[in-house]
Amino acid sequence: MNIATKAFFVALANELNAHPEQFKVHGEADMVAALVMRKADGDFAVRVAFEGLRVEDIKETSVAEAAAADYYLDGPLAAWQAMFDDILANGSASGRLTINSLALLGTDIRLRGDDPMGVDKFSRFNQTLQEYLDGAARVAVAAG
Amino acid sequence: MTLTQDQTLTDRGDGDGRYDKLPTVSPLGDALDWKWLKGANTEWGVRPKIGPRGLTMLDIATGSYGVVPDNPTHRSMAPRGADIDPDTPDMGYILNKKSDVWADNVVELYEEAVARQWSATRDIPWGELRELPSDIEHAMCQVCTTLTEVEMIAADLPAKWMWRMNHDFLEAKMFLCTQIMDEARHAEVFRKRALANGGGLLMSRGQSEGLLRTIIEAKSYTQATALMHLLGEGFILDIFRMGELISPSPVEKRMFRMAMQDEARHVAYGTMHIRYAVEQDPDVAEEIHEALDHGEAVLTAFGTNQDFGTALAVLLGGGVEHVETKGFALQADMQRKQFTSYLARCERAGISRLHRTKLPLELLGLDPNTILAN
Ligand SMILES: [Fe+2]
Ligand SMILES: [Fe+2]
Repeated sequence: MNIATKAFFVALANELNAHPEQFKVHGEADMVAALVMRKADGDFAVRVAFEGLRVEDIKETSVAEAAAADYYLDGPLAAWQAMFDDILANGSASGRLTINSLALLGTDIRLRGDDPMGVDKFSRFNQTLQEYLDGAARVAVAAG
Repeated sequence: MTLTQDQTLTDRGDGDGRYDKLPTVSPLGDALDWKWLKGANTEWGVRPKIGPRGLTMLDIATGSYGVVPDNPTHRSMAPRGADIDPDTPDMGYILNKKSDVWADNVVELYEEAVARQWSATRDIPWGELRELPSDIEHAMCQVCTTLTEVEMIAADLPAKWMWRMNHDFLEAKMFLCTQIMDEARHAEVFRKRALANGGGLLMSRGQSEGLLRTIIEAKSYTQATALMHLLGEGFILDIFRMGELISPSPVEKRMFRMAMQDEARHVAYGTMHIRYAVEQDPDVAEEIHEALDHGEAVLTAFGTNQDFGTALAVLLGGGVEHVETKGFALQADMQRKQFTSYLARCERAGISRLHRTKLPLELLGLDPNTILAN
């Protein structure tokens, strides 16, 4: 599974959008999150727009554009790969590899943004974001 | 916001003469004018557009109904936008300026709070709790004991001021009602966790009470909100984020993530309320600074709460044997992050504390000149 692709994040979005009943318990979420994966052959960045109970838009962007999201999560590809590997192994993120734990430790993946109110949306919708990322386990199973 | 005029509703006529024949006296002998039917002086015929999530408070903030006055003329519970009798009674409100309570995001936050309510009974997978090493279980129980102690201040404080808020600021009061429910649930979930795994409630030695008393005794609501929403809850939000990090099982992880979401709403209201208050009346800034001067000193004293502090350090270190080598160091790192996010929020609120803060920045090796560099 190549995580540094728009297709991967679209698959996660499709997974979330196919199960509104699962996200309804958490309620609507309105935020634009961006993920930045640093790698030797060129950085990858993606913007994920949550609206209501859906992910409405996935857009591959430049790192500069990612910074215009409510917040962005910035780290080396290897750290992102470790996070998704853990999700695949456990069905959902575990231990210190949840997105909040990674961002709070800030050693591998950093939570960044210009506006503290935007950055706080990471906390305001954290369970929704975590479940969006945890969808990787189900996407992987579906892909065989 | 799209408004659609509904012609049948706009017709405020006399109902083809039907209303002329209505009784003018009630069965008990009171005079009747049927004003509500024949033409109350109010906006009629605007119809909000129902959105994909239903009918939100933002949707119904249409026309004059969406206008929140800076200085309401009434002191009663009459609903804003109605045809209000000039002789309505005075309910004793003292927060009668919009800038006393308002925040530009408060309507959105109310809807978000309602949409994202959860149940500490049903939405935490309590059945997945497993026996933990004794030191870890004790530490989690101590953290939950202290959190249970401090949670309800954030319900008592809005409750203390809400009945003093002019009713034209309905949406702000409604948001604070959601906060009160959130705090009840936080007290509930942490109390449940302390008891759920065979542990119990542990030490309470009064070290939290100085902070709680400072918040509840604040002289003005804006001072109180600076102390509670911006300072106190900002720190608690970071504690919840830390709680998620150090959770020994998915049960606590879920608990802290859910609480974190609520807490971030409370902080978002406080930050934007203070910003609004200062924008409307720059003189308020000094009043807020004075409250925070005192509040930061009291919060620093709360930070010396050895029961809470050492329990967090044990969880951060992963057990008592690592508390000195890992726990305390990671805790200092977390405190640096707490101070940084608090000072960033103060900037956003229009109250720069960088060169006035009483927090021990130096002790943690933080430089006010570079602390906010991203
Ligand atoms: Fe709380
Ligand atoms: Fe709170």
